Amino acid sequence: MQNFAYRAPASTTDALRLGTGTGARYIAGGTDLLNLMKDGVQRHDLIIDLNRLPLHDITPTTTGVRLGALARMADVAAHPQVRRRLPLLAETLLAGASPQVRNAATIGGNLLQRTRCWYFRDASMPCNKREPGSGCAAQHGQNRWHAIIGGSAHCIAVHPSDLAVALTALDATVHTLGSGGARTIGIRDFYRLPGDTPQVETALRSGELITAVDVPSTGLTGRYLKVRDRATFEFAVVSVAALIRTGGGGVVREARLAFGGIAPVPWRSAEAERQLIGRRLDDAAIEAAGRALTLPAAPREHNAFKVPLVRRALATALGGLR
Amino acid sequence: MSPSVVGRPIARTDGVAKVTGAARYAADADVTGVVHAVLVTSDVARGRITAIDTAVASSGAGVLAVLTHDTLPALTLPAVTSFYLKRFVPVQDDRIRHAGQPVAIAVADTLARAQDAAARVVVRYESAPPQVVLADALGEAYVPPPGSDGPNDYTRGDVAAGMAAADVTVEATYTTPLQHHNPLEPSATVASWDGDALTVHESAQGISITQNVLAQAFGLTPGQVRVITPYVGGGFGAKGPAWPHTLLAAAAARHVGRPVKLVLSRAQTYTSHGHRAETHQVMRVGATREGRLTAIDHVVTQQVSRTEELLFNSSEPTRMLYDCANVRSTQRAVRLDLPTGSFVRSPEAATGHVLESTLDELAVTLGLDPVELRLRNWSAINQETGAPHGSNHLRECYTRGAQQFGWSRRDPRPGSMRDRDGIIGWGMATAAHTAGGRPGSGATVTVGRDGTARIECGTQEIGTGTYTVMQQVGAQTLGLAVHQVTFLLGDTRYPAAFASAASATVPSAGAAVVRAATAARDLVVAAALADAASPLHGVAADRIGAEDGFLFVTGQPWRRVAYRDVMARHGAPISATSTPVPTPLGYSTGAVFAEVHVDPAIGRVRVRRIVGVFDPGRILNRQTARSQAIGGAVWAVGFTLTEHTLVDPHLGRVVTPNLSGYLIPTNLDIPDIDVDFIDRPDPDSPALGARGFGETPMTGTTAAIANALHHATGHRFRDLPITQDKILAALS
Repeated sequence: MQNFAYRAPASTTDALRLGTGTGARYIAGGTDLLNLMKDGVQRHDLIIDLNRLPLHDITPTTTGVRLGALARMADVAAHPQVRRRLPLLAETLLAGASPQVRNAATIGGNLLQRTRCWYFRDASMPCNKREPGSGCAAQHGQNRWHAIIGGSAHCIAVHPSDLAVALTALDATVHTLGSGGARTIGIRDFYRLPGDTPQVETALRSGELITAVDVPSTGLTGRYLKVRDRATFEFAVVSVAALIRTGGGGVVREARLAFGGIAPVPWRSAEAERQLIGRRLDDAAIEAAGRALTLPAAPREHNAFKVPLVRRALATALGGLR
Repeated sequence: MSPSVVGRPIARTDGVAKVTGAARYAADADVTGVVHAVLVTSDVARGRITAIDTAVASSGAGVLAVLTHDTLPALTLPAVTSFYLKRFVPVQDDRIRHAGQPVAIAVADTLARAQDAAARVVVRYESAPPQVVLADALGEAYVPPPGSDGPNDYTRGDVAAGMAAADVTVEATYTTPLQHHNPLEPSATVASWDGDALTVHESAQGISITQNVLAQAFGLTPGQVRVITPYVGGGFGAKGPAWPHTLLAAAAARHVGRPVKLVLSRAQTYTSHGHRAETHQVMRVGATREGRLTAIDHVVTQQVSRTEELLFNSSEPTRMLYDCANVRSTQRAVRLDLPTGSFVRSPEAATGHVLESTLDELAVTLGLDPVELRLRNWSAINQETGAPHGSNHLRECYTRGAQQFGWSRRDPRPGSMRDRDGIIGWGMATAAHTAGGRPGSGATVTVGRDGTARIECGTQEIGTGTYTVMQQVGAQTLGLAVHQVTFLLGDTRYPAAFASAASATVPSAGAAVVRAATAARDLVVAAALADAASPLHGVAADRIGAEDGFLFVTGQPWRRVAYRDVMARHGAPISATSTPVPTPLGYSTGAVFAEVHVDPAIGRVRVRRIVGVFDPGRILNRQTARSQAIGGAVWAVGFTLTEHTLVDPHLGRVVTPNLSGYLIPTNLDIPDIDVDFIDRPDPDSPALGARGFGETPMTGTTAAIANALHHATGHRFRDLPITQDKILAALS
């Protein structure tokens, strides 16, 4: 790990001033960044510790709950307002990482964690995301964990966050602050597909900070289902965040379906949702939603199993909401 | 009579030191003036180095040396018999034999500076496409010369005739993946020179191996090399042989004239100290309608490297376990551009898994209960050698295990047992692993003037409880209380012992302690008998018993004298040293039963419970023995369901070189494990009736889980690990 300078500003103004410099990087929980730096995947000259900034609060709002960017995963999951008004969010957070990691990792940092693609995480492997133009070894390599939807010839890495999948289903809003001022970005506009610029992962501009995430409570019934290769402390092979509102006769009035593990970004499928609207949540409707979801799938050599798996995960999640 | 010292479930004597951090592992060694070495390893799997630029790396602050094949002094390649398995020493020439091969060593005053220097070494390669996929190269398989685990081309009887005589035959092809040891403590070396004397603090499972390898590499006598290893933070075979990093650390220390510490990174442990080689196995068995085996034909093909051809997934279960007159076992090698394989916990597990899985297939074919099938083919003798086992209570393991598990309630129809959430599967298999059959060890027992004993033995504590169990063995043999005995290990200044490997510590080091302690006790008894003031004076030596710190006349326990008093009057310590005697080949067996639960919607598998009943002879310490069985079961869950090292087929590099990518089971993956022992002494044991046991419990458990998955799903999963996608495909 190379040497770096360290600052811990007490105000967002100071943080932003420091953060505009090249080679600067923010750190919050550090659960991902430190590993990336130790492994030489990322090199930064200046580390700006955000933990002194007043962005830790979890605050009820008229529409839901506002999560400060520095709120810890464990604190959010245990917060009474979150548990009461956003049970899907609490369920999702507890499905991620381990208690130790959840005690340290923050909401903002979670959204910005980097992919687990091993070609990305080994600094000496070809990877367009880490080193544009070096190639994507996953295309014809060990790609069992890679994207079946939304990838490109340049990158098929998947976004690893469980939280981001739930927030995508919940239509959360990300609040940011940069040298140009404050912005609000819908979660669905926050993440970028790789295209031919896989190094660009989010809508954040250089030096811009996440300050908070607004999560509206929906009144919908939800479930987060995470499928993984061992019982705990492991990223999703596929995951589903499903929110449903049914009306008279059990007919679906509203459906929100977001998926992890299948795409470079948390994947919201309007096509799958459309298959459910106006229908009872029966096997045929669920089957149709699954088919619509995976219609654009383009699996690689080792990950074709994700097509049936994500459909079955969807069916299981929706089956639990009947 | 007080109860036996041996057998008691005594908590490990080093437990407090370990959980409080007081235990000093190799990298904790407090060596004055130590500097740090970091290996630079090859990014390519096949080719040669065309240039190494060390200028920038060498110019860093605090950097003492950056050594390459151009600058590192020549080292002698240790003989293969020394258990330096690699047939080359890296950083000696420009050739690249596998990805991860060391190509340079950076040495600096701090670890951070050494790491920084290592990162700044620029290596240029001329590389060729590597061949790393076993399935693509099966056509190149050949039968290599035999290694230390028996013949690679073995036949008894007439296999063709046995197959022809069979009423049913089963043929199946199985694969097991590349796997790694993943001890908690990565390998570490702290090497320091004093003239031509070399002292090494090493995380080693075999300090005498490390000593001899270093002596050969540097042209020293073994006496010039001292290896110190008071604790090992897990080895599982990784630290049994000696590997290049140890030689390179010592070479770097000599070059810079300072003590050097080298700790492998987690990623480097995936290319630096062997692995369980990937296998492709074809198994054919023939049997009568009644389930008597008429023939077994087992072809195991596994990866070796370009420079070595030793096989470690050995086929003892096929050759030894079941009563069958016609057996052929063929072990083939395929050379690939991967590192050298080695032994990983329970090396017989990969072949045993296939034998036990195929027997389950045979049981299904015959409509015979799997327990009954095994009972009908039970063998009283080692089928390969024809020699009787010292003792063999395997049949009792089956029946007791079946009873404890509730096996009689099993509905054999696949998918027939369900609960609210999914399908239940019950499976079983035989556990069996050789134990011992390796070189012997020595030990020195010294009884002090205070009547307490100190035992020195150059064995190792790899987490199995050696400190504790050997203390018990010594106390039992001497007739002292446990607290009156101190056991010291992990120093080549003590009598040499065999490696902590091959389930050999109890039969090898344990026997050495028994012999030395018996001799020391006899000397103490002689001193007491010769003392006119002793209550034992004049009694025949063979009538003297020893227990709990006292010598007494057998049948007259009131005629006794304390060790302490005998030694005080004797006035000088009494010492005895045992010399190595090769250990007999033991065979520790058991029966394992497993319950799995499958969620048919998404293919999720959970192992719900494991019951294992084992026959390792006499139990020396019920608690540490039970821990061995639990550890074996945990390994089996990983082996069967989650663990595989993935290699990029084009780059030839491990893509999962860390505990995030390589999935070992978490606590939540591990069910209740119910362990029981027959606990009857083996009369052939040189160690108080105990046999080696460490490697037995993983075997059997793997196939019990896989067989339970067949029972749950009706599908036979022949490619490990059995991940969720495979379950899902089978259920679709």
